[in-house]
Amino acid sequence: MRKVFLFSVLTFLAVAIFAAPVTIQFWHAMGGTDRIQLLQNLANEFMQQNPDIKVDVQYTGSYTDTMTKMIAAVRAGNPPDLVMIYDIGTQMMIDSGVIIPIQNMIDKDPSFDINTLVPASRGYYTVGGKLYSMPFNSSNPVIFYNKTLFEKAGLDPNNPPNTFEEFIEYAKKLTVKDANGNTIQYGFTFGSGEPLAWFFEQFMAVQNALLLNNNNGRDGRATKAVFANEAGLRIFNFFNEMIQNGSAINAGPGWDNARQIFISQRAAMLITSTSDVNMMVKAAQSGNFSLGVMFLPHPSGVPYGGVIVGGASLWMVNTNNAQREEATWKFLKFLESTDAQIQWSTGTGYFPVNKNAIIKLLYEGYYAKNPPYLVTVLQLLMSNVTPATRGGATGAFPQIRTAVDTAFGKMFTKAMTPQQALQWAQDQANQAIANYNSMY
Amino acid sequence: MAKKIFPYLLLVPTFIIIAIFIYYPAFQTFKLSFYRMSPFGNRLFFVGFQNFWSLFTSGQYIQSALTTLIFVTVTVIGGLIISLLLALLLNERVPGIGVFRTLIFAPYAISPAVAGTLWAFLLSPVAGYVSYLFLILFKAQPQWLTTYPLALIAIMIATIWKNLGFNVIFFLAGLQSIPQSYYEAATIDGANSVHRLLRITIPLLSPITFYLIVMNVTFTAFSAFATIDVMTQGGPANTTSTLIYKLYQDGFVNFNTGFASAESVVLILIMAVFTYLYFKFGQKAVFYQ
Repeated sequence: MRKVFLFSVLTFLAVAIFAAPVTIQFWHAMGGTDRIQLLQNLANEFMQQNPDIKVDVQYTGSYTDTMTKMIAAVRAGNPPDLVMIYDIGTQMMIDSGVIIPIQNMIDKDPSFDINTLVPASRGYYTVGGKLYSMPFNSSNPVIFYNKTLFEKAGLDPNNPPNTFEEFIEYAKKLTVKDANGNTIQYGFTFGSGEPLAWFFEQFMAVQNALLLNNNNGRDGRATKAVFANEAGLRIFNFFNEMIQNGSAINAGPGWDNARQIFISQRAAMLITSTSDVNMMVKAAQSGNFSLGVMFLPHPSGVPYGGVIVGGASLWMVNTNNAQREEATWKFLKFLESTDAQIQWSTGTGYFPVNKNAIIKLLYEGYYAKNPPYLVTVLQLLMSNVTPATRGGATGAFPQIRTAVDTAFGKMFTKAMTPQQALQWAQDQANQAIANYNSMY
Repeated sequence: MAKKIFPYLLLVPTFIIIAIFIYYPAFQTFKLSFYRMSPFGNRLFFVGFQNFWSLFTSGQYIQSALTTLIFVTVTVIGGLIISLLLALLLNERVPGIGVFRTLIFAPYAISPAVAGTLWAFLLSPVAGYVSYLFLILFKAQPQWLTTYPLALIAIMIATIWKNLGFNVIFFLAGLQSIPQSYYEAATIDGANSVHRLLRITIPLLSPITFYLIVMNVTFTAFSAFATIDVMTQGGPANTTSTLIYKLYQDGFVNFNTGFASAESVVLILIMAVFTYLYFKFGQKAVFYQ
């Protein structure tokens, strides 16, 4: 009798342990009620399909905040299972010693076909031939423009500028002043701070120019920054010329101010992330203007490279718990699935990182009905995959962005010439890289 | 005997909290300032005084120290003068004074980040009310947040405005503790209102003023962080990057932990000197009635 009792208790316990739902922590940096809800919905759908897994979704602030929290959690010994880390955190995460390269999971699981990933996104997160993290919210910058204001200025709204030179010309024509000489409408606006530094990186790739040596740190650890050259100078001059002649306005740090200026139709062209396309389409409808989207302009006579994948990717953390790791991998596969990618992409403006999602949207006529979304995807797909467009990888990247933005500030306020500012930024970057590399 | 132990026992929880949240992190900071550490802490190298050496040879840090000095000096002096004038006005017995006092105090009650957002909206280059007013009144379009020295001035204005309520309340309390009879005697002796202000009010307010200077320097040097982060992020070209903002950037944006710890140690030393001066001269320089 006793034995039977003991046996049944043990059986009950065993069943209870195996059936108990696994809880995995997922930290992300997608702010705004829409995006927070969208990710929660995706997690809910996954939990419905997998009742034995519970996904605890947490919004952990901006990309930088999320990185800070991740670092604190790792040091405290309780990191999440899955975390969204910004593009420039890639090398830091590789060096962190706490992650599981996604490649390891893919190699073990034949049900996941790595070739469904969009090549550009896959290329960015591949370092030394290994895919480290799962691309998820991929974006790059585009120029949004106000077709209505183009028409008012006598410009053809269906023929936006292609080159730096044309762009400067258009910006001038789109600048409107009142009788007292005050500007009431600017040709172009952009956010400074991190966005501006990101645009700089993108315009380097547009000219197929490297940011860092060792093929942008992809063939080996990058030891030097190499952007203080003709290509870099063209970008500094491009922004500086429009700021100094009054046809562009620096909207201040961050993304919001510049968006606001464009939405209120006080600027005719805006450079921002493709992930804003949803917001811009809605703003144009309520603001009663016609919205256009164009590719990034390039300096004339310079061979076109392409754009770099920006945004963030999802990193699996090594928790030494096979059950949780398996659940996390399952969740990741769900997030990469065609349906989840379609929900995510159409709800935000980040382009799908799954080729099948793009194909399905195309066949369903979604891109025909929503041309702005098509432009954002096309710009990426038409980019050449070269070391330059795969983007730089270095652990000192956050410092490099700070330095590049500061250099732009020094140039705009005329404390330095474009040439000096660019050289200053590169010197700062080299120091930061040397500092970081000395630890590895 | 039991009587002597009991009070210490009651203090134990406080000491534990202070030890965990203040002494331990401070000790860690001191330690890390002599190391170079990778972002995730898995690589740690002893570098001696190298972090401090690079601090003091870095033009950016010196620039940041100067910015802080200018920022704190102007903000504290300007803020206190404006607060005193407002307190004098609010000390008058006019109808509805309670409403005015409440309105003046209101900014102090909101968080610095909200205050920063508010000012960033007001000063926004094309959509802001302040920019609009400037266009109408002066036919000018100052770009408040993206040019030098306007960005620093904007931060100063926002900080002064934010701390105004606190200063005014203390000045008001000080004013109301000055006996009316002093003024009556002075009036009989033929002193006009300027004399009364300079010879009676200001000297008798000196203890409060001294306290406010200390508090304001601390506030301004340390709590202006949120305002700066929201309004300028230290830009343009680091011209609004104070020591505390630079510390945040190096520690939590650039993940340069050792370097940021060294900056932190320097700040602790500055505060130590300041506290010492306060205790040494604070009591003597002030005129108590």
